[in-house]
Amino acid sequence: MTDLAWLTVAEGAALLRAKKLSPVEWTKALLDRIAAIDEHYNAFLVVTADKALAQAKAAEAEIAKGQYRGPMHGVPYAAKDIFDIEGMATTCHSKIRMNHKAASDAFVVKKLRDTGAVLLGKVALHEFATGGPAFDLPWPPARNPWNRDLHPGGSSSGSGSALAAGMAPAALGTDTGGSVRNPATCCGIVGMKPTYGAVSLSGVFPLTYSLDHVGPMTRTVEDNAILFHAIAGHDPDDPTTAVREPADCLKDLKSGLKGLRVGVIEHFYKSDAEAVPEQAQAIEQAIGVLQKLGASVKTVRVSPLPLWTDCNRTIHTSEAYAIHEKDVQERPEDFAALTRNRLLPGAFVSAAKYIRAQQLRAALCREMAGAMRDLDAVVTLSSLCMPCRIDDPAAVAKTYDQQARLVFNVTGTPAISVPTGFTNDGLPLAMQIAGHSFGEPMVYRIAQAYEAATGFTAKRPPIKLAARAVA
Amino acid sequence: MNESPKIPESVRLMAEQHGLGKALKLFPEGVRAAAERGQKPLGAPPKGNSPIASPAPIFNPARFEK
Repeated sequence: MTDLAWLTVAEGAALLRAKKLSPVEWTKALLDRIAAIDEHYNAFLVVTADKALAQAKAAEAEIAKGQYRGPMHGVPYAAKDIFDIEGMATTCHSKIRMNHKAASDAFVVKKLRDTGAVLLGKVALHEFATGGPAFDLPWPPARNPWNRDLHPGGSSSGSGSALAAGMAPAALGTDTGGSVRNPATCCGIVGMKPTYGAVSLSGVFPLTYSLDHVGPMTRTVEDNAILFHAIAGHDPDDPTTAVREPADCLKDLKSGLKGLRVGVIEHFYKSDAEAVPEQAQAIEQAIGVLQKLGASVKTVRVSPLPLWTDCNRTIHTSEAYAIHEKDVQERPEDFAALTRNRLLPGAFVSAAKYIRAQQLRAALCREMAGAMRDLDAVVTLSSLCMPCRIDDPAAVAKTYDQQARLVFNVTGTPAISVPTGFTNDGLPLAMQIAGHSFGEPMVYRIAQAYEAATGFTAKRPPIKLAARAVA
Repeated sequence: MNESPKIPESVRLMAEQHGLGKALKLFPEGVRAAAERGQKPLGAPPKGNSPIASPAPIFNPARFEK
């Protein structure tokens, strides 16, 4: 059997269903691994070992009786500490929320509980899903398993770190300007920001009101589709969720690319800003792979990347400030410096500018929809740069706008980050594949074909060496 | 906390109006930079779009009916 640390959701589910693996065995193996290595990665804020084992035992008993609930039954996962879990603090990795206690589960946590999934614990993030890797908070920042000295991406940093280090096969993240896809890119895993309204935000502490998305994070594309299907769907308590049945992302997952039409938004990384050569070369090669697999590819143009950034940032800072205004006014010293610097500009955005940004958003959405009219998907880079040192706040701040992820928070359309290879130093590279509204099945289909052709998601970071090196 | 840049009077007044007196005292450079960023003008929309033809996201009361 595969090492349990690296078992995928799909592999594990098959073994669990066939009763060749016990959920308790899998859960124990991961809890042991977390205990053994997480001191080097700081991925987990809280490990819910007792609850996890109880959930695993319940899953084991049900599966033994033939009451198999589906592909997440008995599968361990981790949740970014921004999701409410009844009786636990939703700290958002902040001193300000240390004494919080959630009255009930977030909708997606409840959905996963209903599928029989096993919660391993709550994982680190950038404070309130903004800011960056901070050293002036009650918990240290999560580390990048490929190189502990480098930024793991964020804000769902603990989710990315836990997956890449083999401490969990699945994790929940949130994404307002790229916070699922950034750690996916930096940690060499798969992260999907679904369509706005596909997944409920109830019980998730907001960063903004109109750009937030809950997203699945996994090590493979198929696992991501499985987790997405488990969490998607209408929530009567979240009026932003769509009243429609979640699409079946597994049905056509392995149907290949023959006849598909893919657009490339290359001006984002070639002329609007210049990507580092490693990222640019990797996506060029990836586009070649898509063509070899049968997709037709053409270049498309939309507005320049800085306009998308302006639009996202104006809405983001205004809405985030509305949420945190009282604490910024009364206890600004309790935020990490990186967070405070991200929140404060919202105080100075005028109502007129915010409204113009929402108008701009509508115009940009129309523009993207027009550009994609005859296409099945578009691809572009995720990060234009490589991860910087985790302890260099000035370098971290520079990375905020060196990315093309926030474009798809503006449009609300689905976008996935998939690995496109590795640098000579062994650091992961990535691209985004973005689709039409509620077009997750097509995004997954393209990502799956690319993953199957390249195998980049199978590569693992040198965990044992890293752990020894810092021991 | 030991920042001591010269803060333009307009920024000081705005910060105080927004209840940011404490932040201004503790982090004056952070507040100054925030004011600069927050007030930076927004770029022009794509050609063919005007504010009149581009309403802000449409409020849909039906979405609140469970």
